[in-house]
Amino acid sequence: MKQSSTFRLSVLVFGFAFLYIPILSLIVYSFNKSRLVTVWGGFSTQWYGRLLDNDQILDAAWLSLKIAAINATGAVILGTLAGLALARFGKFRGRTLLSGMTTAPLVMPEVITGLSLLMLFVVMEAMFGWPAGRGVTTVTIAHMTLTLAYVTVIVQSRLSTLDDSLEEAAMDLGARPSKIFFVITLPIIAPALISGWLLSFTISLDDLVIASFVSGPGSSTLPMVIFSKVRMGVSPDINALASIIVLLVTIGVITAGIFLARQEKRRQRDMQMAAAAK
Amino acid sequence: MSRALNSSVRAGLAVASIALAVAACGKKEEAQQSQAPGAAAAEEKILHVYNWSDYIAEDTIKNFEAQTGIKVTYDVFDSNDMLETRLLAGNSGFDVVVPSASFLERQIKAGVFQKLDKSQIPNLQHMDPDIQQRVALHDPNNEHSVTYLWGTTGIGYNVDKVKKILGDKPLDSWNQIFDPKEIARFKDCGVSVLDAPDEILKVVLQWMGRDPNSQKDEDLTAAAEKLQQIRPYIRKIHSSQYIDDLANGELCVSIGWSGDILQARDRAEEAGQGVKVAYSIPKEGTIVWFDMLAIPADAKHPKNAHAFINYLMEPQVAANNTNFVNYANANAASFGMVNDEVKNDPGVYPTPEVKAKLFPSLAYNEQATATMARLWQKFTTGQ
Repeated sequence: MKQSSTFRLSVLVFGFAFLYIPILSLIVYSFNKSRLVTVWGGFSTQWYGRLLDNDQILDAAWLSLKIAAINATGAVILGTLAGLALARFGKFRGRTLLSGMTTAPLVMPEVITGLSLLMLFVVMEAMFGWPAGRGVTTVTIAHMTLTLAYVTVIVQSRLSTLDDSLEEAAMDLGARPSKIFFVITLPIIAPALISGWLLSFTISLDDLVIASFVSGPGSSTLPMVIFSKVRMGVSPDINALASIIVLLVTIGVITAGIFLARQEKRRQRDMQMAAAAK
Repeated sequence: MSRALNSSVRAGLAVASIALAVAACGKKEEAQQSQAPGAAAAEEKILHVYNWSDYIAEDTIKNFEAQTGIKVTYDVFDSNDMLETRLLAGNSGFDVVVPSASFLERQIKAGVFQKLDKSQIPNLQHMDPDIQQRVALHDPNNEHSVTYLWGTTGIGYNVDKVKKILGDKPLDSWNQIFDPKEIARFKDCGVSVLDAPDEILKVVLQWMGRDPNSQKDEDLTAAAEKLQQIRPYIRKIHSSQYIDDLANGELCVSIGWSGDILQARDRAEEAGQGVKVAYSIPKEGTIVWFDMLAIPADAKHPKNAHAFINYLMEPQVAANNTNFVNYANANAASFGMVNDEVKNDPGVYPTPEVKAKLFPSLAYNEQATATMARLWQKFTTGQ
């Protein structure tokens, strides 16, 4: 018994170390005085100061956050519609096509997605004059194409595990479909929407390949700027920025976690009450 | 700078370029037609610049904006392949781009760039005629482009470690890298080679005494065979990691680009760990490359673009950029304004004797490109 618990503990420690040591070292080295990433030159916060002066990186970070937020919101709306159609509308004509199309970006290499979107934009511009040039709009659209696939899958699986008797009951009581959707379905799948939103946000924030293809002047996202800087060796102000992002993400994940746990608990309680009432 | 991405991304971009070139063909006429009325109307005070990252003095853009009232959007790239993909897709939205001359050569043939209106760039009078002549091999009559900065491909090394191995003998010959017996001495302290197949093959051919720009199968294969023999002694094949690795002492000999190695030297100094890095141009001669300012044919603000190129060729502005990035410019009038330590550094401004042995890296044709890719694949995987 004792042995297995030491074993378990060491696996746990090793697993966590594997996951978190790279992030920790990134944060530690953001306080490095030396410019060389691998040489420790003493404690300093100078790179955080330097970062505040670096308009290029800050602009890119702000742009990336904006694109990620717009993208996540759009992807959640479209993805929910698609997920709803796939989970609730039975076997309609073109269902297989729809499910195939929405999940295709999940398995497609990003290079191909990026290239095909670029060609689409080029052809559309030649034919309709829209989008006029590539920029923030095209990057956002491209990211939405990719991330709505994730949202669709999440929403669809959530809906299919859901007991549809609640919706049927509401229908029996004379509620219109739109009312059912907003009053019954939406609150129940809210946790799925939130995780879908966060996932889309992260994927967009993270994406380099697709953005590189479809961006234009003035739309260099943060990963693009970082990647182009890495060529000259990683500079520590990027470490500083990454540390700040890690901090923000940690706060975000913890908040979302608490919220989702509460939701889940309430749902469990409601279900128990419903069962007891029967 | 023929910096390159890793090979899989490069392959992806190559496919993209071909596909886009096909797509772009149909549109070319259209673009030319629409150009005329645009030029007549007054231009918005906007300019979109696409340059290498960390390749301009920090205040150049700000000063240009203050002087002209033109608002500059400045984006950066880190490989010629990325730039090429954007250019060939057409309507990239950029007004000034900075490809390397060997890429520019190909792109001119694809009709990507417009001819410069030299009356709008009076500062062209300051250009160094020798460099102009060399660049004309890529861009006939210098019609489409102006040299922004230039540099060489040479050897960067850790001064103390190399001294321990070679004694008082200088590290100044390709023979010390490409001869298996010679390079073996550096094996334990670390050797790296650029992941730039065309450049490496060309310097090997130069060392072998053949035409460096040969596109013949037999020459390329012969060069690759020589490379294969030194493969066991090479620790890394990469186009940027060597900057930091030289600076922190992990590598002791690197084939690299002049400005990058001088950057490694400065970083090593800054770190204060006692590492000294130096750059040497091998006596057999090496590649000289140029990064060129050019205006895409479908640029929306060609007038502003000309003004920007003209501004960059102001002698003082050119000197400031050179001082900042450690690459030489082609502006003869700026020479007196360049800091002494940059001006007198033979790694940045080579002596006339060395200059005489520099050769350009001309663009390969399709077949040679394919051969090169195949040979390089074999070299990098070490089989």
